Amino acid sequence: MTWDGNVARGAGRISGDTGAFTDLPFSLPARIGRVEGKTSPEELLASAHAGCLGMGLASELANPDARVEVRTTIRMDEVDGKGHQIVASTVAIRGRVPGLSAEEWQEKVAAADAGCPFSTLLKNAGVEVTVNAELEEGT
Amino acid sequence: MATDRRAEVTWNGSLTEGSGRITSTTTGKVGEQDVSWAARSSDNAELTSPEELIAAAHAACFSMALSNGLAEEGNAPDELRTSATVTFQPGEGITKIALTVEGRVPGLEEDAFRQAAEDAKQNCPVSKALAGVPEITLDAKLAG
Repeated sequence: MTWDGNVARGAGRISGDTGAFTDLPFSLPARIGRVEGKTSPEELLASAHAGCLGMGLASELANPDARVEVRTTIRMDEVDGKGHQIVASTVAIRGRVPGLSAEEWQEKVAAADAGCPFSTLLKNAGVEVTVNAELEEGT
Repeated sequence: MATDRRAEVTWNGSLTEGSGRITSTTTGKVGEQDVSWAARSSDNAELTSPEELIAAAHAACFSMALSNGLAEEGNAPDELRTSATVTFQPGEGITKIALTVEGRVPGLEEDAFRQAAEDAKQNCPVSKALAGVPEITLDAKLAG
């Protein structure tokens, strides 16, 4: 990525090695205030966390007919004496898994969270990770 | 103020045979992105992955922190070119992150730039959230 100028008024552009995303614009105002159509490190981390948990849960379920939706929200806040910190990742999961009981579903979700390396990193850094998972009825 | 950034992923099927997609984010700027285990765990990456997104997040966060640190000392950079490479080892997780930065900073000595970069590496919010990664390296230099 490249950054031009100072943090408050400058702006950057970001690209990934695979070319899946190129020249995404981002800036500090986009990061700490209204988004103005620019991404931020936290939005990228939310995408990473949702991807990690979605894959982890697919691995635990091992069911070709399973469908899971993961929504992750990363919160950054100013913490007294510590400046800006990532304080929370709130995860909402919905699943449609033929033949799975509600109890098994919760066990699989817990195992996916425990097995997701990024979840573990966040928790070890003091980030509050909250996971709520619903299994769709009649599946 | 606290800021929330959201992302949504849908996954169909098993890990190795199925596939997923990042369907929506707060700004939409990340765009719809397909993800798969094969792309994540091999060197022939054609799709993005959690680790590539973490690399992008870390490079962006580090750059913001470094530009801020430099500006506070009266040396706002003309340009910082940062890369972050995240190493993923299946079964272990993220084992290493390598940061590199090349700066164009008028009037600044190399040592001062390196020190500012080290501070940014220690203190940017993403670095703190990733503090449990076993090895995070930094190579900082001024553009010749």
